[in-house]
Amino acid sequence: MAVSFKEVTKRFADGTVALDRLDLGFDLGEFIVLLGPSGSGKTTACRLLAGLEQPSSGRIEIEGRDVTNVPPRFRGIGMVFQNYALYSHKTVFENIAYPLRIRKVAAAEIERSVKDMAELLRIAHYLQRKPAQLSGGQAQRVAVARALVWQPAICLMDEPLSNLDALLRLHMRTELNRLHRKLDKTFVFVTHDQEEAMTLATRMAVLKEGRLVQFDEPKTIYRRPANRFVAEFMGRPAMNTIDGVVKGGIFKAGAVACAVDRPDGPVTLGIRPEQIEFMASNAPAAMTLTVDVKEAIEPDTLLIFQNAGGQAITLRTQTNCDAIEPGQPVSVSFPKQALHYFDAATGKRVE
Amino acid sequence: MSKSWKILAIGILACVLVLALTPYVWILLTSFKGRLDILSTQPTWFFMPTFANYPAVFIDKEYLPLVFNSLVISLGSTVLSILIGAPAAYVFARTDFAGKEDLFFFFLTTRMAPPIAIAVPLFLFFTTIGLTDTIYAVVIAHTSFNLSLVVWMMRGFFAEIPKEIDEAAMMDGRSKLGAFVRVIVPLAAPGLAATAVLCFIMSWNEFLYAFILVAFEGRPLTVGIPGLITPHGTLWGQVAAVAVVATLPIIVFTFLVQRHLVRGLTFGAVKG
Amino acid sequence: MTKGTRPSRGQFLLDRGASMPLILPAALLVLVFLVGPFYYMVYTAMTDLSFANPDQKGVFIGFDNFRRLVREDAIFWGSFWRTIRFVLVAVSIEFLLGFALAWLIWRYIERQRLLTTLLLVPMMLAPVAVGLIWRLLLQGDFGMATHYLRAVGLLSQSSAVFSSPGLVMPTIIAIDVWQWTPFVTLIILAGLMSLPRSPFEAATMDGAGPWRQFTDILLPLMRPIIALVLLLRGIDAFKEFDKVFIMTGGGPGTVSELLSIYAYRVNFKTWNLGYGAAVSFMVYLVVLIMCSVFYKAVYWKSADQEARP
Repeated sequence: MAVSFKEVTKRFADGTVALDRLDLGFDLGEFIVLLGPSGSGKTTACRLLAGLEQPSSGRIEIEGRDVTNVPPRFRGIGMVFQNYALYSHKTVFENIAYPLRIRKVAAAEIERSVKDMAELLRIAHYLQRKPAQLSGGQAQRVAVARALVWQPAICLMDEPLSNLDALLRLHMRTELNRLHRKLDKTFVFVTHDQEEAMTLATRMAVLKEGRLVQFDEPKTIYRRPANRFVAEFMGRPAMNTIDGVVKGGIFKAGAVACAVDRPDGPVTLGIRPEQIEFMASNAPAAMTLTVDVKEAIEPDTLLIFQNAGGQAITLRTQTNCDAIEPGQPVSVSFPKQALHYFDAATGKRVE
Repeated sequence: MSKSWKILAIGILACVLVLALTPYVWILLTSFKGRLDILSTQPTWFFMPTFANYPAVFIDKEYLPLVFNSLVISLGSTVLSILIGAPAAYVFARTDFAGKEDLFFFFLTTRMAPPIAIAVPLFLFFTTIGLTDTIYAVVIAHTSFNLSLVVWMMRGFFAEIPKEIDEAAMMDGRSKLGAFVRVIVPLAAPGLAATAVLCFIMSWNEFLYAFILVAFEGRPLTVGIPGLITPHGTLWGQVAAVAVVATLPIIVFTFLVQRHLVRGLTFGAVKG
Repeated sequence: MTKGTRPSRGQFLLDRGASMPLILPAALLVLVFLVGPFYYMVYTAMTDLSFANPDQKGVFIGFDNFRRLVREDAIFWGSFWRTIRFVLVAVSIEFLLGFALAWLIWRYIERQRLLTTLLLVPMMLAPVAVGLIWRLLLQGDFGMATHYLRAVGLLSQSSAVFSSPGLVMPTIIAIDVWQWTPFVTLIILAGLMSLPRSPFEAATMDGAGPWRQFTDILLPLMRPIIALVLLLRGIDAFKEFDKVFIMTGGGPGTVSELLSIYAYRVNFKTWNLGYGAAVSFMVYLVVLIMCSVFYKAVYWKSADQEARP
């Protein structure tokens, strides 16, 4: 393992536990995304790896070397900050050159490296500007250039795209993907945006309340969520999770009834909105749900049903739903191969 | 390692604090000392306190009216500066007009003007209209320099109130002036209070204008101080008593406005 | 019809943005009581007005006063350079000390409120009271400070600071430092506290050690505030009057006669008002120059901030 967190705990002065015994390891050259809602500890993990914070207990290793007490500048890590943290009193050129100047690189070499980096990130025209004269996207690129110019083995990015507007965000995402393939460095990327995580990550770590919930390839995390939390966090809209009871191979919860491969007892059933199917009302697997709200997000349509106990079930379909109105009953079915099961008590995935 | 640095830093700061406060503590002690304790060549830190100095100077030497004068001058100029300065500050914070920044800067230069340069013509002017040696002359002089403090400080406080609040008040049916008086002023009240206290301090501590404009009637405490010092036989216990009365209220006020002090002292350029 | 739907004429003008009524009293007051006197001072400086000599009733004499002042008045130039030296030395010491203290507090003290408030005491005292306090402390026979200075050998047994010409100005500078270092500390500390954290973290990641962070990041970011403090202190120190007036009155001789004291002496001791106005004008001129530098520095800072998206 090139980078590993070993039993790392971070407790802040006010007593909050930001990270709880984090174990995480990955190889050089990967694009690792730390994903989680706010307060999940993803930024803390990033800052611990950078060396900006000290763990309360546990160890951090880079290529087998214990770096827990090594100051940031000896760790060989570059970092892009959420607000870019450019030096407002220096030109773009000097911003990018700064890490090289500190390492006493020769002037000609600095000139060349900065130019190369600026070319790569398409900011060569702005080198003489001050940060205040840059747009958000340009400032972002300068920050990335500065983090990478001195060829660190690892580059950390703490929610780098969250201050950009939607269109620019998509664009920068593609750029980062390109950059990663080209430079062959380890990227560690913190975000709360699952779409960013899915598109960028070679592997992603989902965190919740300071604990690692699942660490795997994006498609595995989507297709086989390790627990109810991941299931409800991923997907747009998120997976439906329905608490109910199995009796004689039939799962029942309010108006929901479907055949399952589970022994008798309580269980949480999961199904993605796009995998719920319309059915003729007389088909044997069909159940009838009442439409509560209809949202057309062309070309798809979301139908939100109200199940007994106030639980909402969402269906996403590309079928034309113009004829369906709120208040109307609709017959649907849950295909058996699309079902996920979670332990009713612990929320853990059961096969 | 960093622990011992911290201890060193605390040590240094403690020494500085002692150096900063000892002179003031000394004058406090002196005001409660009898003549012999004061004149002792060995500094006396412990002694039998006497309260005789205070009545001696404030009653017998009739310095009490000077305290009253100081109060009237400080309060008067504070109220005037706020009444005149706050609306102007509001305009500077909200309205754009040609030459605004220059006019704003012009208010600052008035603050910076050396009193010795302004006091002479003011003295001549007040002599002409017969106001010298009255409290009014000093109130006006102090108002003219406190005004810029109000304008500069309050502009910042007003600017911090979102413009939407004025707009909401006007949508609710208030006039612009009504919005200012009924909505904005109450919202800016903490800032206004801090500004007023600072004005009071500035006026209370001021010496040169008052010294030149009033010789006897209406002179404030600061002007009364030099009169107590004689080439020989200065009664230091009484001098100290006056100094304590002249400074203690200000120290109390300082504690009150400490949060806004930075802004006041830098004319709003730095927010504390 | 509810109140406010039919505005009076005055309100109407206000609502149209004609804000003159709100700003006029302030402008007028300043005009009459500060700008007026300024021009009157300039005018007086060009006359021979003197209350001491009944023959000098204020006849216009052009630039004679200024000519005499600049070409012949050695006392003026003496006090002018003395004042400049005073400002440079006192403000430099105050700045270095104040900055160091602010840095220590910022770096090592978590609960700063009480400490800074106590530190502020010297600068909140009326300057007259400060002069008085130090006059008592440095009194030759029984002054507390005199006693301890003698005890540690900084002052010879028989001498007192205010009667030793060589010691007077250094003492006045030391007292000014005592009074105004807290001012520098307070403002610089406020500046340090408002510094964003991220540039320092970025510099850490870029490999900068503590010293490089100080020179490359902290000092440039603090530049506007440093300029502000130096100018405010410089302007104030140049106008210094109260403390010196109480402590030495400019003496012994003229060794501590700063420009303001000299101007006071010419105006109110010799009552030579025309010539005195010329002296006052010179004080004003220097302050005005420092003032416009101050404005540029402050304005440059806010312009810089507005440019940020």
